[in-house]
Amino acid sequence: MIAWIFIGLGCAFLVVGTIGIVRFRDVYSRLQASGVSDNVGSTFLLLGLVLLDGLTARDAAILFLIALLVVTNPIATHSIAKSAFTNRHEEDGS
Amino acid sequence: MIVVEALILASLLAVLVRLAVGPTPWDRLLAANSAATRILLLMALLAILQDRTLYLDIAIVYAAISFLGIIIVARVMERSGGIR
Repeated sequence: MIAWIFIGLGCAFLVVGTIGIVRFRDVYSRLQASGVSDNVGSTFLLLGLVLLDGLTARDAAILFLIALLVVTNPIATHSIAKSAFTNRHEEDGS
Repeated sequence: MIVVEALILASLLAVLVRLAVGPTPWDRLLAANSAATRILLLMALLAILQDRTLYLDIAIVYAAISFLGIIIVARVMERSGGIR
């Protein structure tokens, strides 16, 4: 039961982030929608997959995947934002 | 579980639309990052659905390699002002 709550929460975060990526008008707004909701949504969804059945051998792989995503996703978002902010004068419109 | 997978697949298609029409190169880069995250979640869901643990290992390797690619492309675009 609680696993499905986690999976539904992760799906809700991912869908809201997708709406933000498609509908926002600025690069930084889209980066904020993408970075925050992807990280939280994927963490909730994978935690729900861990809790779905009992303690099995594949839970270690999913937990390692959660740790990898939590470390690497903010670094990638920060790197894209720094790259866009450095070159902001040459940006036209949008 | 099928509903969750269809929802993430629809989200992946919407992100790929942003990757196709993004006005600036950074839009395309962040759309590629989000698409990589969604593909990885699809791999994890498929591993649970079909009970194949091998897909989880592939998902871990895919996460590491996509992170490396995004970082390298972002650094190159920071240096060269974007690939137009």
